Amino acid sequence: MREAILQTGGHPRPASEWHLRAPYDWRAALAVLLIATALFWSGQRMEVGKMLNLTGEAVAAGVGLKDESQVGKGLGRMIGALFPFVIEDRRELARITDLDRDALPMFTRIEATEVTTYHLNADTLQVEQQVEVKEYLVHPFGYLTKVLSKMVETFEIAIWATIISVLLSIPLAFFGARNYTPNRFAYSASRGVVSFLRSMPELIIAMFLVLGFGFGAIAGYLALGLHGAGFLGKFYAEDIEAADRKPQEALTALGAGKLRVLRAAVLPQVAPSYVAYTLYILDRNVRMAAVIGLVGAGGIGQELKGRYDTFEYGHVGTILLVIFLTVFVLDQVSARVRARLIG
Amino acid sequence: MAAAAILQAALGTGREGQPHLSFRDLRKVYADGVAALDGVSAHVARGEFCVVLGPSGSGKSTLLRVVNGLTDLTSGQMMLGDTALSPKSLRGIRRRVAMVHQQFNLVERASVAANVLAGAVAEVAGWRAMLGWYPPELRTRVCEVVARVGLDEIHLPRRAAALSGGQQQRVGIARALLVRPEVILADEPVASLDPAISREVLGLLREAAREQGATVLCSLHQTDLAREFADRIIGMRKGRVVFDGKPALFDDRAEAELYEGLAVPSPETKEKAYA
Repeated sequence: MREAILQTGGHPRPASEWHLRAPYDWRAALAVLLIATALFWSGQRMEVGKMLNLTGEAVAAGVGLKDESQVGKGLGRMIGALFPFVIEDRRELARITDLDRDALPMFTRIEATEVTTYHLNADTLQVEQQVEVKEYLVHPFGYLTKVLSKMVETFEIAIWATIISVLLSIPLAFFGARNYTPNRFAYSASRGVVSFLRSMPELIIAMFLVLGFGFGAIAGYLALGLHGAGFLGKFYAEDIEAADRKPQEALTALGAGKLRVLRAAVLPQVAPSYVAYTLYILDRNVRMAAVIGLVGAGGIGQELKGRYDTFEYGHVGTILLVIFLTVFVLDQVSARVRARLIG
Repeated sequence: MAAAAILQAALGTGREGQPHLSFRDLRKVYADGVAALDGVSAHVARGEFCVVLGPSGSGKSTLLRVVNGLTDLTSGQMMLGDTALSPKSLRGIRRRVAMVHQQFNLVERASVAANVLAGAVAEVAGWRAMLGWYPPELRTRVCEVVARVGLDEIHLPRRAAALSGGQQQRVGIARALLVRPEVILADEPVASLDPAISREVLGLLREAAREQGATVLCSLHQTDLAREFADRIIGMRKGRVVFDGKPALFDDRAEAELYEGLAVPSPETKEKAYA
């Protein structure tokens, strides 16, 4: 009896009765139809048609097929205002109290500008022209230096945020990996925390933390660190689950406990992707650190918001350029680090 | 070294009366109802190179994996020396038993040295294991075993994945030898290697085990290799022991019985284990 089952594995059927399923069937077609309907419905709510229209007009205007477009005009004015980038720092001399004219700070010079003002003479009832000379202390790279130092601060925020993310996500990943978690409760709790952290936008976390820790960098890197832990905790855990089981079994067979197996058989396998994720989070943190400054959480974002609100778009342009260059350089560096680690 | 090896080998044969591994009526029924072990009883003497033969699905691997608890028994008892395998004794037994795997089970990205050192991951202090900072004696020992399995100093920093199959299995054996286990389980150690390399690797495993006085339980599917290397052959078919004896007794008839289930075992081939 048992022999029969072992040999045939249950019910033998001739090959002519076998059935090999087609790769997809009417259910797949129905699913595609449903998705298309849903997108159509959502597209109307999201005014996708209008978006396409306006973009089309802007492009048409751009290549000269059309006189003008509303979008093109608005964006064009804004983008035009970003130029020229302001890199110098210019301060009115009259507002500087203790300045020794014979010993100006390094690289600075004094520039005089003639300012013409008009006002009504009360006696003659004539509009009179008055030329005033205003002196400015000009540092040719003053503003650029300031933006760069703010960028360094932003980078520091990103670094500390990344460190916090990594430290938090190591235990989260251990408890959130199905094959290493001690029990179901720890697993669910860890996955819950990870999802929660990921679902809270860093801008909102930062706003709350600013209330607790005050304006400045602390709220910034804590907010980014918590949000990043939501990402890393998930990615780290999934990589642990997907790691090759064979070496893990080999070390388990030698009597090694979970932590030791994790360290000696899993970590070497997942290290390259962990580095890649961590670098991605660092890159993301640099970009987001620029944004959370908007709510007063330190860094270059605070400067950006200040200049934007006072319509100093030339300054805004410089800030955006510096952010872009930093992200670009970081991308190049991290690509190189990754290549070296994976190769 | 050679003298010690001979002494240990002699010691092993001298204690044949006391089995090193004993299996008593082992049964393993998997969830799908397949009985991988169906009442296996056998004894393996200290220092013996015991080969388990049998067709695919005969329960060879399961028998090996029962020894270090990778597979748990439905019923029956496994004894290593005086210690019975139980959830409580599991860790202790695993640390006395090393395993060589069919797929080598190395960390492919890690270096040869790191893979061999990992063989001691259960032995060293926790902080050392976590930092990967193994004591210097162990590093010396790594060089020793890597040389013993016929690899060279230049292989130490190479990634395991960069080695050939035969070399990878040598690393697997070095990892198993590292902490001087009492028992080495080799689960089809040469199944993924070509015949010439298989012979070299098996010879190496046998000699190295003999030098350390380790008992080897090795599953194979090549009967010629079993005849050549085994001190003792256990033949399994459908979860039962159908042959147990010296290689000399494993004749064509026994082989046919084992693989094709031709006849009821005759009295002269169904020799009782060293009772």
